[in-house]
Amino acid sequence: MPGQAQDWLTRIRELPLAAPLRIMNVCGGHERSISMAGLRTLLPPEIRLIPGPGCPVCVCPEEDIHQAIDWAMHQDVIVASFGDMLRVPANVARGEVRSLAEARAAGASVHAIASPQDALRIARENPQRKLVFHAVGFETTMAPIAAMIVEGLPPNLLLLNSGRLTWPAVAMLLESPDAGEEAGLDALIAPGHVATVMGPAEWDFVPTRHGIPTAIAGFTAESLLAAIHSVLEQSRTGQAALENCYGAAVRAGGNPLARRLLDTAFSVVDAPWRGIGTIARSGYALKDEFAAHDARLHLPATAGGRKAGEMPAGCDCARVVLGRISPTGCRLYGSACRPASPVGPCMVSDEGACRIWWASGVRAPSAG
Amino acid sequence: MSDSVPDSVPDSVPDSLPDSMSDAVTDSPFPPGARISLAHGNGGRLMRELIDGLFARILGTGIDTRVDAAAIPSDPAGGEWMITTDGFTVEPLEFPGGDIGSLAVHGTVNDLAVSGARPRWLSLNVFVEEGLEIALLERVIRSIARASAEAGVGILAGDTKVVRRGQGGGIYLATTGIGTRVAPMPLGLDRIKLGDQVLVSGSVGDHGAAVMLAREQFGISGELRSDAACVLPVTDILVGQSGLRFMRDPTRGGLATVAHDIASVTGAGVRLFEESIPVRAPVAGVCEILGYDPLYLACEGRVVAVLDPDSAQPALAALHAAGFSDARIVGVVEALAGRVVLQTPLGGERILPELEDDPLPRIC
Repeated sequence: MPGQAQDWLTRIRELPLAAPLRIMNVCGGHERSISMAGLRTLLPPEIRLIPGPGCPVCVCPEEDIHQAIDWAMHQDVIVASFGDMLRVPANVARGEVRSLAEARAAGASVHAIASPQDALRIARENPQRKLVFHAVGFETTMAPIAAMIVEGLPPNLLLLNSGRLTWPAVAMLLESPDAGEEAGLDALIAPGHVATVMGPAEWDFVPTRHGIPTAIAGFTAESLLAAIHSVLEQSRTGQAALENCYGAAVRAGGNPLARRLLDTAFSVVDAPWRGIGTIARSGYALKDEFAAHDARLHLPATAGGRKAGEMPAGCDCARVVLGRISPTGCRLYGSACRPASPVGPCMVSDEGACRIWWASGVRAPSAG
Repeated sequence: MSDSVPDSVPDSVPDSLPDSMSDAVTDSPFPPGARISLAHGNGGRLMRELIDGLFARILGTGIDTRVDAAAIPSDPAGGEWMITTDGFTVEPLEFPGGDIGSLAVHGTVNDLAVSGARPRWLSLNVFVEEGLEIALLERVIRSIARASAEAGVGILAGDTKVVRRGQGGGIYLATTGIGTRVAPMPLGLDRIKLGDQVLVSGSVGDHGAAVMLAREQFGISGELRSDAACVLPVTDILVGQSGLRFMRDPTRGGLATVAHDIASVTGAGVRLFEESIPVRAPVAGVCEILGYDPLYLACEGRVVAVLDPDSAQPALAALHAAGFSDARIVGVVEALAGRVVLQTPLGGERILPELEDDPLPRIC
């Protein structure tokens, strides 16, 4: 309700702020709500809201995207993926097919889907063809995919799995900052949907081990402002703790059924993040008993030799994802890279910080 | 293309249609399952059968199919002539709340209506793809007949072309509309002044959301219907308001794009109030899930009007009284350096950028 959000805003404005505070969010949904509600225009200038690693599409390894495109073009398969994955460009020579959308335009069978159930339906409607579902997402997306796997997939449905976990990226930021660069955050807004599925305890390490004020927020302006107030108050009093500002949706232990399904379908493994490198225990891998549905085992690996770290020339998406720079800090933002002609994934995905900032009217200072 | 059309489209010809039109439903000279061939466009016998057996039969009286040009009857009202032309491509051809036929009639009629004209006549060009089911073409032509009868326009001239399979989206339509000016005052973007109010006649984004959902394999079911309709009942009310400056139907690019036109032509700017903009819950829900902004989605049966500050409230009251209960005053013309600023319910601001990335190719 705007009324309660207004109250939180008043309380935030009344807090004495000792120093500038960088508050990172790690969820594209949070960044979208912040931008769409214009929260940055309402908060005191000392408070900087920083989008962090909250976009699974943005960190999907380049080689996985290549593989999906290659199979769509050269194997007799249908490829299905979430809408924004279709437009993510891979690094290819000029004139080559650089995205699933271009593959579709070139005649490949590529479907944009909004829910994993859509992949199931398309596979059942086309029993004579293999359907490759390129699964990209964080815990909240991978849980329903796990449910689908455990329930039993049609024999022609294969998974190209690029699922990731959220907290390990934050742990990486806090525990092994790049040489010469510090972690870049003074407080954290933890993702409400992820905490609903996985439980809040995953985020305990941020305040307890690192002394960083942390609050779990939902997706309304009210919940986000409550979380911002919470971390400001924690910072002011020097008492870092994990506070839940997402109410009854987040319970200790999360959603036990969803967690059990994730454990049944997937192992947690070290995994590459596009432009960033390998992050320990940050990826979901299909367990052996579901090997019959692992696309990598049943289709030729034709996109080998690609490096996960590969980014298009000049593209700073990786540093945007890590919160090292803001979208407008990238040289390409708004010049070479725009939603209609994206260079990097952050300008494609609805969860990507560049796309969200662009859609909410933020223009590079030089571009006016 | 025909595989993207729902298999069973409800046949929704109302009982109140004139006899000649409902007879057309049962009297088709074409066998069930018949398809368009290239010969239907070659000028010979098959083309003659298509024109007489389908277009003339359904579109009915008044069309002489054997002349090369038709005379425009003089208008008893006698106003200045106004003309508009438009092309229509949409996938799927039939969607909840309309089809390409009704869309074409409404789109053309509405362009005249928001320009302050009374639509009188249409011309109709039909580009049909080889292989299209004739039954689908019949449904679309019946829909054109129904929509033009409702809007009070006659179809005065037409042409048909058949394109090779794979070279067209089933059916493309091109229409020209002719009308006579009825607005007592000239309307235009150049008449807008600082402080003028921006009004919308109903909820925004319904058409764009409905077509998007009908086209993609999203598996989301919702109560989405296109708002495609003739806007004459709205414009008839608004042209009676002395302080009316400008009207437009927010089709491609939606409300945000009309606001941009206002901002760029006036050089001032538009402040929109998010809380006041009517968005139906199913539309907001679908946009939330799919990441679209309803302010940029097409409407096909709405009017955005700019009125002077004294006329806006009376105009709103008149629309409400006529049953347009979702009409709202949604913004104001302000000095904002040519920008469109959305004020959020909390009082925050964000700039609505000009639409660049087409979120929905081929929706109208």
